[in-house]
Amino acid sequence: MKHRFGVFTLAAALLAVACSSNNNKNSNNAAATKPPSAASSTQAAAPRPAGASPTAANASPTGTPRPTVAAAPGAVKISFWHAFSGTNGDALNALVDKYNSSQQKVHVDAVFQGSYDDDINKLRQALQTKTTPDLVQIYDIGTRFMVDSKAVTPMQTFVDKDKFDLSTFEPNVLGYYKVGTTLYSMPWATSNPILYYNKDMFKAAGLDPDKPPKTFEEVADAAKKLTKGDVKGIALPIDDWYMEQSLATQGAYFADPTNGRGDKPADKAAFNGPEGVAFLTWWANMVKDGTAANLGRNSSDTKAAFFAGKIAMVVDSTAALRQVIDSTQGKFQVGTTFYPRPANNPKAAGTIIGGNSLWIMKDHPQAEQDAAWDFIKWLMQPEQMAFFHVSTGYYPPNKAAYDVQADKDWLAKYPQFQTAIDQLHASPLNQATQGGLVGVFVQARQDNQSAIESVFAGQATPQQALDKAAGTVTGEIQQYNQAVGH
Amino acid sequence: MSNIATVAAPERPAVSAALRRRISYAAQAVTGYVFLAPSLLVFAVFIFYPLIKSIYLGFYVSNPFGNGQVYVGADQYRRVLSSDQFHTALVTTALFALYTVVGGVVLGLLLALLANARLKGIFIFRTIFSSTIATSVAVASLMWILLFNPSIGVLNWALSLLHVARINWLTSPHWALFSVSIATIWLQLGFNTIVLLAGLQGIPDELYESARVDGARPLRQFFTITLPMLSPTLFFVIVIASIRAFESFGQIDLLTQGGPNNATFTLVYAIYRNAFFNFGATGVASAQAVVLFVIILLFTAIQFGVAERKVFYG
Repeated sequence: MKHRFGVFTLAAALLAVACSSNNNKNSNNAAATKPPSAASSTQAAAPRPAGASPTAANASPTGTPRPTVAAAPGAVKISFWHAFSGTNGDALNALVDKYNSSQQKVHVDAVFQGSYDDDINKLRQALQTKTTPDLVQIYDIGTRFMVDSKAVTPMQTFVDKDKFDLSTFEPNVLGYYKVGTTLYSMPWATSNPILYYNKDMFKAAGLDPDKPPKTFEEVADAAKKLTKGDVKGIALPIDDWYMEQSLATQGAYFADPTNGRGDKPADKAAFNGPEGVAFLTWWANMVKDGTAANLGRNSSDTKAAFFAGKIAMVVDSTAALRQVIDSTQGKFQVGTTFYPRPANNPKAAGTIIGGNSLWIMKDHPQAEQDAAWDFIKWLMQPEQMAFFHVSTGYYPPNKAAYDVQADKDWLAKYPQFQTAIDQLHASPLNQATQGGLVGVFVQARQDNQSAIESVFAGQATPQQALDKAAGTVTGEIQQYNQAVGH
Repeated sequence: MSNIATVAAPERPAVSAALRRRISYAAQAVTGYVFLAPSLLVFAVFIFYPLIKSIYLGFYVSNPFGNGQVYVGADQYRRVLSSDQFHTALVTTALFALYTVVGGVVLGLLLALLANARLKGIFIFRTIFSSTIATSVAVASLMWILLFNPSIGVLNWALSLLHVARINWLTSPHWALFSVSIATIWLQLGFNTIVLLAGLQGIPDELYESARVDGARPLRQFFTITLPMLSPTLFFVIVIASIRAFESFGQIDLLTQGGPNNATFTLVYAIYRNAFFNFGATGVASAQAVVLFVIILLFTAIQFGVAERKVFYG
């Protein structure tokens, strides 16, 4: 009898356990543990906020103000969702505090929402429950989705109203965030991928540390010379961002027609052309012959191996530069150079703008939207731009930042910061370097990363893997277009 | 409890004994439900409502922004059940369950047998063996990420000492599911060991004494006394471990994110991806969640129906 009862309660408990699995998908809390985000989110080097408290999800649109600066009475309070932690998060918080204490009219509550993916997912949930923040930082590839959501006030509205001067802004950066002729969001932290290399290892291997490899062939050759014992020549995180960038540096599109940047929205994946195959073949061959390490998808793992001297070269976003400088201080000399590309590269090609931009949500009172715009204008001032540049590695969208003395001094001391800027200025503005504009980028990246992994595992050739992924992504794009009425 | 009934009908001799008994039962039932009410309320809010909502959402397709729902009915379930993603995820989940349940229970039993020895200071070992119960999934995963790291990890360093080729624990599709299973087994070992040890200690000593008198050797004692007497506990551990395997999420998300090339893409992970990353697939995720629920329910029912008959309850 006793046992029977025990079994019964056990059954009830099991039922509860079984049911609770259904729980996951309705609550945001399931997103508390997150996959690492794009390469463009290299700030995720800090351990991910696993098991973040449920209340930290989107329970409150305003979140908890950090106690550093109190809001002045009568100040307009605005909430600001972001995805920065670690080194880059510290810089963001310092700026918010400085803004809050610099004036009495507006008080910004910065709320960290996890990775870029978490951030946009929480916003998606907030759109349904009408609990959006006033201001939100969204990664580059979320642009199409944000525009289609029709839940934002285009930045152009504020720019026009205030006659805000954009003439000192980088044309490529504005080009990325313009859809048609409308600037939808304000570019803030902008990046591109660069090659980091260990100068000490270059010397030891008989390579010239002042003449880093630039082409696919040169990098593969250097990787071979640098591979010794358990030290590998190079590593790239398995992140689709690097393929997207490689397509642009070869003048190819991610999606057709014209990357979705022309009159018609993209309706077909195009990354399986010869350029995508060339990139993946170059990478896979190095993995195959053991000169490149396959350390998985997390850029924190490739960086950790680089810091530990287990790999001589690593490809990462320029946004990781400050962290790289700080982490290798006193260990070895770090050099930076352009993102590798094929030797016979077309002229009209370059890197895409990575990083993120700031969006003002439209379902808020005008006073709050104006307050958010005031904060954005302040962030765009050269002084703030320069501070953010040297604190992170993201280059400033506003070129006026380079005239600030602190920025000049920093660039003189750490010339590594110049690489991303030069690479940006070497990139022409065209539909390839504007980057793909599709609504399903989050899924597409997952599909492509699986494709890359299947090549490394010898399960498919680069062409087969990319053809299969392109088929899947095309289906996803068409489904999305149908749903939003494109 | 019977005094409630007597209060309800104290001095009415006209009431028949049968009616009295019925009132007594009813009063008992009411009291029972009152006691159950708090947990029913909690279940209703956190389990029954989401469950019903999932079933409901499973019949709808929504746009990428989560609104504008269109009814598609059972079509969605038909599509989910026939999709490739669902089939591969199901196979992966089944393999993962096989690895973790077998590995976790066998190792847990081994540790429990060792911890059951009568030695001085055995409590130290008992504490060590059961320590993983106090480790969260996130902490354990971060630890295993470091152990599995191909270039700076301890496991590959140990292999290099033995002159064995390095293994790409988490980045090779051939190894990833196995590696995630190892981490999961480690994580569950503490719980399995504690429960099995408690079961072992519940077996009366007299049985072993008389077996020894009859000349039974330790191996014989294990198979004819320990295993049958432990079967209810083993049964419990197997059921719990199976359900945990079907529900594992944290370690998969932190170690492999379902990769490489979908080698660790389990059903729960598929639900997560569809719900949060495939904008517009909320309905698909809901339908998959309902299917997973039914699978776990069936699995549990089968285990109770079949395995219970073989369990020796003493």
